[in-house]
This record gives sequence, C-alpha cells and structure tokens, in this order.
Amino acid sequence: MKRHFFYKTFGTYLVIIILSFFVLNLFVRDEIKKIMTAQIEEQLMTSARLIDLNSPKDISRQLQQITGISGARVTLIDVQGKVFADSEKEVAGLENHIDRPEIQEARVRGRGKSVRFSKTIGVDMLYIAIPINEGATIKGYVRLARPLHDVKEAGEKSYNSFFLALVIVAFISLIIAVIFSYRLAAPIKEMERFTEGLRRGTTEGSIIIKTSDETKKLADNINYLVIELKNRIRLANEENSKLVTAFASMTEGVMILDADDKIEAVNRALSSMLASRYEDIAGKTLLEAFRNVELQQAFLKFKQTGQSVFREVALGDPEPVILNVSISGIKVESGNAKTMVVFHDITRLKKLERVRIDFVANVTHEIRTPLTAILGYLETIRDGAINNPEEARKFIDIILKHAQRLNRLVEDLLTISRIELGEVNFHFEDISPADVINNVLPVIDPKAKSKRIEIDNLIPEKLPLIRADKDRLTQIFVNILDNAVKFTPESGKVSISAEETNGFVLVGISDTGIGVPKEEIERLGERFYRVDKTRSRDLGGTGLGLSIVKHLMIAHGGKMEIESQLGRGTKVFLFFPVMK
Amino acid sequence: MQEKRHTSSHYETELREVKNGLIYLGALTEKAIQKAMNSLLERNSELARAVIKDDREIDQLDNELEDRCVRILALRQPTAIDLRFITTAIKINGHLERIGDMAVNIAEKAIMLNEEPQLKPYIDLPRMADMVGEMIKFSLDALVNNDVVLAEKVRHKEQVVDELNEQIFRELLTFMMEDPKAIHRAIIIMQISKNLERIADHAKGVADMVIYLVTGESVRHQGCTEGEKE
Repeated sequence: MKRHFFYKTFGTYLVIIILSFFVLNLFVRDEIKKIMTAQIEEQLMTSARLIDLNSPKDISRQLQQITGISGARVTLIDVQGKVFADSEKEVAGLENHIDRPEIQEARVRGRGKSVRFSKTIGVDMLYIAIPINEGATIKGYVRLARPLHDVKEAGEKSYNSFFLALVIVAFISLIIAVIFSYRLAAPIKEMERFTEGLRRGTTEGSIIIKTSDETKKLADNINYLVIELKNRIRLANEENSKLVTAFASMTEGVMILDADDKIEAVNRALSSMLASRYEDIAGKTLLEAFRNVELQQAFLKFKQTGQSVFREVALGDPEPVILNVSISGIKVESGNAKTMVVFHDITRLKKLERVRIDFVANVTHEIRTPLTAILGYLETIRDGAINNPEEARKFIDIILKHAQRLNRLVEDLLTISRIELGEVNFHFEDISPADVINNVLPVIDPKAKSKRIEIDNLIPEKLPLIRADKDRLTQIFVNILDNAVKFTPESGKVSISAEETNGFVLVGISDTGIGVPKEEIERLGERFYRVDKTRSRDLGGTGLGLSIVKHLMIAHGGKMEIESQLGRGTKVFLFFPVMK
Repeated sequence: MQEKRHTSSHYETELREVKNGLIYLGALTEKAIQKAMNSLLERNSELARAVIKDDREIDQLDNELEDRCVRILALRQPTAIDLRFITTAIKINGHLERIGDMAVNIAEKAIMLNEEPQLKPYIDLPRMADMVGEMIKFSLDALVNNDVVLAEKVRHKEQVVDELNEQIFRELLTFMMEDPKAIHRAIIIMQISKNLERIADHAKGVADMVIYLVTGESVRHQGCTEGEKE
C-alpha cells in the first residue's frame, strides 16, 4: 500500500523531470549553438574583409595573416569558381567551388554562409563567403572555413550540467515522494488494517486519524458506519435470540417447510409431541413424513389459496395425538416462500371433553334407572297393589332397594367431590396395611365363598407402617377386593401381596377375572366409567368404586396403577408412601 | 429417481407427482381400512357408510394416477430406473386400489353384522386387523423411504396373517357346529377375515414392488426362505 503510493508519486515526478530535461536541453542547446555560430560568423566576416586583392603579390602573406587572426582556412575563388589561392591546401588538386551554397549565396546577396558536416575531421564546419568587388562587377570570392569545435563543446557542457541538475532534482523528488507517500498512505493503511480487523471480528472500538484532510473525513465515516453496523447487528441478534427462544420454549409445536415443501426445522415441543410416533421426519414432505389425509388436504388447500388454513388432525397410531394445525406462509423479500406449520396439542382437552360428556350421560343414566323402577312400582302400588298387602310389601322392598341404591350413588358422588375439593378431614395415623386388610377380609369372604373364589393373603408379616386414615384405607381395600371378586368368574382366585419398594409400600391385588382391554385401562378411574356397559351394572356397582379409590390414593400421597390382560385377569397396584 | 436430476425439470416434477399421488392413495387406503375395522369393532354403521362413500375418492385417484403413468410412458419414453418406477407405480396403484375395495367389503359386512347381536367378543380379528394395518403402514413407509429391509419385514408378516386367518376359520367352525343360528354371522366374519388376508397379500405386493424398484430384483413369486420366517 505504502509502496504503491510511493511508486505512483515518484514515478509521476520522474516522468515530469525527464521530460522537462529533454525539452530544456533541446531548446537551450540550440540557442547556444545559434548565438555562438553567429559570433564566429561575424568574426570571420571581419577577417574576410581584410583581404586586399589589389596587391596580388602579398596574397599568400595576407592569407597567412588572416588565418593567424581567425584560425580559419582561407580560400580565394575567381568568378568561375576556380580556386586560385588556399591557406592550407595546394590549389592544383581542388575542384570547382562555384556550386557551393555559401558562394552562391554570396553572389546573390553579397555575403554567404553555410554549415556542413565534415567527414574528414568529424565536426561541423562553418563556411562564409563574400564577393570581391571591383566597381560593380565581381572579380572573385573570399571564403573562410572554420571547424566549430568550441560550439560542440559548449553544447556538451550545457548537456552535462543539465544532466547533473536532473539527477539532483530526481533525488530531491525521491525524498519528497517518500515523505509524501508515507503521509498519504499511513492513515489509509491504518484504515485498511482496521476494516480488515472488523471483517475478521478481531478489532473493536473506533479508528483515530491525526490528519485533517479527506482521509480524516473518510475515517470519521468509517467510525460512524462501524457504530451503526454494530447497533444493527446487536438489534438483529437480539431479535434473533428472542425468536429462537420463543421457537424453542413455546408449548405449541412449530415446523418450518422450505421452498420445496420439505421439513426444514422442528422445535422441541413438536419433537416431543411426535416422539415415538414418527422418526426421521427432517427433509421429508408432510405427506411423506405423516401420510395423513387430513393434514395433506389442509396443506393442499393452503397451497391453492395461499391463505392460512386451520384444521384438526389426529396423528399417529394407535394412540393418536389430536392436534389443531395451522398452516401459513412466511413472507420473504426474495426467493421462494417458506411455510410455517403450527401444531397445538389438544389431546388432553379432547379427553377431558370426552370425560365430561360421558360423565353427564352416565350420571343421568345411573340415576334414571333406579328412578324408573321406583316410579314404576309406586304406580303399580297406587293402581291396585296397595290393596294386596303381600304384593305391595314385595314392591315396597324393591322400591326401597332402588332408593338405597340411589342414596349410595349420591353418597359416593359426594365423597368424590369432597375429596377432590379437599373438604374431607383425614385422621392420619401410622397403621399397618396388613391389619387393615385382615379386618376387610371377613367382609369380602361370604361373597367370595358363594362364588367359590379362593382368596390368597400373601402379605408378609413385617411391613413398614404407612401413614393413612384407617376408615378411608378400609374403604380402598373393600372397593378393590369387592371389584376383584365381582369380576372374577366362579372358582377363580384372588391374591393379595405386599412389598416395600423405593420408599413405597406396594400392595398388589390380582385376580383371574375377565380383564380389561388395554386401551380402556387409563379410563378406569373416571366416574361411572364402565368397560362392559351391560355386565358390570348387573353386578350391582355404582360405577364409582375405582374413582373413589383413585382419589383417596391421591389424598394419601400415593397412586394406583392397573395392569390387565383381556380374559386373563387384572392386577391393581396400590402405592402408599412409607411413614418417615 | 428423485435423487438424480433430469435435464427436464418438468419431467422431474411429473415423476414426483406420481410418487406423491401413490403416497396419498396409500394414506387414503390406510385410513379406509382403519375406519372399516373400527366400524366393525365399535359396531358403528355410520362409520362404515363413510368408508363406502370415501372409496369414490380412492377410485378417482387410481384412475388419475394410471393416466399419469401412461402419459409419461407415451410422452417421455422413460428408460432404466424411471421405467422401473413407472411400471411399479402402475402395479402399486392397482394393489392400493384393491385394498380400498376390500375396505369397502369389510365396511359392508360390518353394517350387516351390526344389525344382529354380537356373536362373540372379537379377539383374533382385531389382532389380525392390527397386523394388516401394520403391513400396509410398513409397505408404504418402505415406499416413501425406499427401504428394502422394511419391505422384507412386510413379506414375512404375511405368513402370520395367513395363520391367523386359519385360526379364525377353525374357531368359527366350532361356533357354527354348536349353534346353527350363528352360521350366518360366522360366515360374514369369515369373509371379513378372508378380506383382511387378501389385504395382507396386496400389502405384500406393494412391498415386493418396492424391493423390485430399489434392487431391480423380482421377488414376487418367491416365498420367504425358511430362515427368514418369523
């Protein structure tokens, strides 16, 4: 950079110096030559006029004399051009001189002059000639010839001094060029280094330039741009990290499709929504990844209309996630548009909705059945059976039974809602689950015996105490054991076991009953939920037993888990936290 | 055929459209089977009627896809892997359309069964339906991903479905012998089972085509070797 500047400035100087040298040299040398030649010419003229032809005997002496004064060769020529006297050469060998330019000029103008290069001595020769007049007629000519040695010398001298001047000026300009180029290049070099550092990200802050010319302004502009750029980058980064955080932390699943409709990015929420249902969806189209008719139709609709599309879609088998999907375009300034697909998981909502609908349907059904019976029998009694005490008594018994059932139902419902609302007062004490079960067994026994069901009590003697409300714990075991006996066919088996695991006392009650289909297990704790709608009601339940157990277990800080195989039997696991 | 670029991007698009069409058709048939089986297991005739109605879309897409393939054959004269793709696409298209028809058959039978009391709780039939559903899913996954290993898996499952079909047959036979009134319902259930078994055959057909498409080897009429059996 600095060198470039140096070469450029110095080069320019040098060209100008050399050019001026040649031009000056050319003009000055010529002028010097001219002046000197003119002086010599005048001198020779004066000498030539000294010749006096009227005394011919003296001619030779006169010639010698003139040569002595002027240092020139003197030649006398007659009108025909014939040389008749010469100061240096023998007259005999000389040719006719009439056509020499100086003679011709002298004949016409009265004086003649010519400069010719002499090959014999290698310098310019100056010839001058004047006519010798006798009255009005020309008798002959005097010619003086002199080599111009001194003129040549003077030219060479001027050339040499010019060259010396050239070298001196060139040297000075070199120094100036160095200084100048350094001063010009230094700030530019500084700016270059600074911007290079910025580009690589190794430089910070701003650039300081000491000069006050245009480079200073340039540096100021660079500083301004740097600050501006930093601000923009900071803003963009901020904006970006906001978006990235939103993308990663939002509960909605988000997916970006590239211009070829292939899946480009998926956020964490969506990955976990789809986990274990779909693998390896990156780079595929929606159709390839999910192969879902509704989703594809929604996507095609979006593609056709270009407007956002909302659709409810169930993805994945056999336990689908139900998703509210919205598909919309991402506007971009150039290039092909991308697509954003947002998935909102409404599986839980749907489930709750289903539970609620089922609950309302069930509760009305459960209440209506005994009510219908009660109303029916009451009408029968009123319409005549009242007069037949025996019949009436039988009917009233039935009415009573149904009324009791209704009462039980309402009681159970109240219990659940009280537990849920936290209105039940528990009297927690440290008790042994084995004792409670031993108390419950006599209650269940008669029912089991009537179906020839064997109850196996495998509870070990030594179990840690658990913290529980004795009455509620009794209710839990009664409900579970009652269910086990109820849903086990004749000659079946119910076994009770217990162990301590991970800070819990685990009581397991397994039966060899009819079992529960896999997909219905998780709904078992719902109020009124019945697996087989017809059969279990025949067996006389309210449909609330397991629901009560579930809520009681939660109130005890424990939980209930159920495993079941259709046709093989069911296992209920009750986890009670160990008393500390 | 989608990895390499053709000189004509329009040709490229045409081929991709065929593949997308096949996958979409697959999605439709997959859904049809699911719905048909649910209509039977949940005794929901409404759902069954929806399956019968939706089959029109499957038939329409089948025609459209075949037209497209024929047009590509005629206009583009595909060679090498493209030719293989188009010919297999035509066959897969046929298989999928037939699966759709079977779903309709099952739905029709479900409507008939739903009008009578249930003969027995279905145990093997849902298992068979699950397995067949899985075969279709795997064969379509294999098509999407050009996955030969998955296609081989489908081929092996077909055997299991055959065995289940026979088991259902024998079980229903005992029902029929016990109670002549059960014969009508038992026969319908047998037909459903038979339909499922044929769907499994078609799913295997799709898998065979995927293997042919990827490897160029025809495995259509080979059974699986003893060692490969599940």
